[in-house]
Amino acid sequence: MIAAFFHEIVIAIMAIWADKGARSTMLGATLFFSVFFPQPYLSEVVRDMPVAIIDQDGSTLSRELIRRIDAADAVAVARYAPDMPSARALFLKREVYGIVVVPPKFEHDLLAGRAAPIAAFSDGGYFLLNSVMSSALSNATRSLGAEVQVGRLTASGTDMASAMAIVEPLRVTTVPLFNPTGGYASFVLPAVFVLILQQTLLMGIGNLKAGRRSLGAFSTLADAIVYVGLYSLWAGVVLVLLPWVYRLPRIGDVAVMYAVVVPFLCAVTAMGIAVARLIPTKEGVIFFLVVLGMPLFFLSGVSWPAEAMPRLLHAVAFIIPSTTAVPALVRVNQMGADVRSVETTILIQLGLCLAYSTLAVAVERVKQKRLA
Amino acid sequence: MAQRAHLKAGFRRALLAELRQIGARPGLMFMLAPFPLLLFALLAAVFQLGLPRDLPIAVVDQDRSTLSRQMVRIVDATPEVAVAHEASSLSEGRQLLLSGEAYAVVLIPARTERDVLAGRRPEVVLFYNNQYMTPGSLVARSVGGALGTVAAGISIEARVARGADVESATQAVTPVPVRQSALFNPSLEYVQFLLAAVMPTVLQIFIGASAALSFSRDRQGVAGLGRSLRLGGTLMRTATGKLAPYTLTYLLVLWGADALLFGPMGARFGGNLAFHVAYGLVFVLASQMLGAAAALIARDTVSALAAIGVITGPAFGFTGITFPRLSMNGFSTVWADLLPVTHYLELRTDNILRGASFDISLPAFVSLATLALAYGGVTLLLLWRHGRPRPAIAVEAGR
Repeated sequence: MIAAFFHEIVIAIMAIWADKGARSTMLGATLFFSVFFPQPYLSEVVRDMPVAIIDQDGSTLSRELIRRIDAADAVAVARYAPDMPSARALFLKREVYGIVVVPPKFEHDLLAGRAAPIAAFSDGGYFLLNSVMSSALSNATRSLGAEVQVGRLTASGTDMASAMAIVEPLRVTTVPLFNPTGGYASFVLPAVFVLILQQTLLMGIGNLKAGRRSLGAFSTLADAIVYVGLYSLWAGVVLVLLPWVYRLPRIGDVAVMYAVVVPFLCAVTAMGIAVARLIPTKEGVIFFLVVLGMPLFFLSGVSWPAEAMPRLLHAVAFIIPSTTAVPALVRVNQMGADVRSVETTILIQLGLCLAYSTLAVAVERVKQKRLA
Repeated sequence: MAQRAHLKAGFRRALLAELRQIGARPGLMFMLAPFPLLLFALLAAVFQLGLPRDLPIAVVDQDRSTLSRQMVRIVDATPEVAVAHEASSLSEGRQLLLSGEAYAVVLIPARTERDVLAGRRPEVVLFYNNQYMTPGSLVARSVGGALGTVAAGISIEARVARGADVESATQAVTPVPVRQSALFNPSLEYVQFLLAAVMPTVLQIFIGASAALSFSRDRQGVAGLGRSLRLGGTLMRTATGKLAPYTLTYLLVLWGADALLFGPMGARFGGNLAFHVAYGLVFVLASQMLGAAAALIARDTVSALAAIGVITGPAFGFTGITFPRLSMNGFSTVWADLLPVTHYLELRTDNILRGASFDISLPAFVSLATLALAYGGVTLLLLWRHGRPRPAIAVEAGR
């Protein structure tokens, strides 16, 4: 019995190696995607986004403000434009990604204790550039404004401590957790890597199983064990080794990670076998999976909050293993969550594994009945 | 069959043969229009709300004073955020972050109110989950803004107490206000931003894959590409006849999705409609040629589809819609330029969002057309090479 089972395991391993399609998805594609996908994000943050300045004041304080804007890592003053139409033209040509207008009398108003507003135009079509611009400007204006205020108060005889207490009576400190630099690769890749595992595993199973007759429960079980085993190794490469190579923050416990990964891979494998039995052609399965990659990423709630999705949609999305596994693994690996924080996900994955196994068996029964 | 046998070789014959092929495959028919439209509906549902509201956060109020309660109230009143949990300690707040039940924790330490009144400038700390960057930074911005409002109120009171009038005290709180406005897409709607960009990227996969399937099928079939060429007569007529049904369907899907976006979903169309139609057509053609070329280069259908999956699947990251192109490495910049959807999305942004004049859009349009021509050239060349009558296949001619 055990020898026969071991024999089935060897057959399952050989089958992956023998099938070109399976070899290239389960071995080649997993690694390829993990190296290829991160490329656009590797610089992590926007640096020196070029902005245009229209300085209508030309005073010491306006130049000081511009210097502080330029000092921000994310932004660089690239051009001085004489007026709005010429700045706009630079913007349309994508030579600058933001425009700052310092109006006349800026210094005069500021020193007189009146509000001295500046105008800024950013790009609403690109969200990241838009927020880069906001934070660079608010830092520069707040620090300059506070200094001028404190200067005015101390000049009128207030001591430094009271002046500070008037200008900033309550300090609000903002602490970004888990991805302290706000790196884009650190944000997207941990989620994408999990999705790559799911999609390539499904594709591989599609390659091996779609349009072929099942060789019995015993052999299918052996196949499933081999897939889960192989992908448990891949999970180590993709979720532990690659983040280290790309220097992504990863603070999680590997044991906790595997407590989620193994049930997740069982669910994906069961789903893959069920789907392969439902969609009769290899091409069909592969195509279906390629197209679904991006929608599944958005459904996982990592880039777009699940709270902002329609309830029903989010509930239906639970039938895909990645929907709950992606956020759970991100929480474990990147945020250091313990087993207790992800136990719901583990139960969901086990439930899905059971449901898809039942489905796969049922489909096979119906098929055999038709043949009989 | 006998009836059609007299139809002369050419565009119509290649077209009819392709239509029969599609008709015989319900799976292929599904992938032509219903599937992409279904995906569009799915994505539209995901981004339906436009901007997230009431994202849950936790508060650790160790002060329990009038001031701390006022802070919690003001934070809760911002539309983006809802105070969903009152944690008793910071570690309890941390657990809420880890389990995903809260995006941020606000810590109001004991004696905050007393220290404010004594001028000791106490510190309120906002911890937010920056691993979930979109909701995290949104929450940080709104909570930070709300707490800033509280601080500003205290500052105004202090100045008024020192004899300033309310008007000048209010101005003194933010000496350099920034009036920031988005030049384009002023409402900062996610529907405009993401959905409008994701849909063409997904369609590029469909378009490329369908062209790849069409050519691969003929090439792997018993009769090979020679038969397709005999149906079409010339290379050009064969290729156009085979691809025309897909071109037309996907154009209709592309424009149908746009009609929904700019119609019922209320996105603003600020550009030139004729130009929009023109680059849409070139985009579909370029993506088809990419798929056809892949099918003629790859060894079999599965490899052809895998190649299209590899090229078009991860395309979204390269388009620069989320992470900007100006910060990408050299490889990504070049790769992005080879993808039709990069140029299409740039043209879309220029035309629809920015209402840019034609000369601004010209370089992107030329790039897109060049891609169509280059991939088309490869397709025709390989079609000629693979479709040449060879001695081995000559037997089959006597069929």
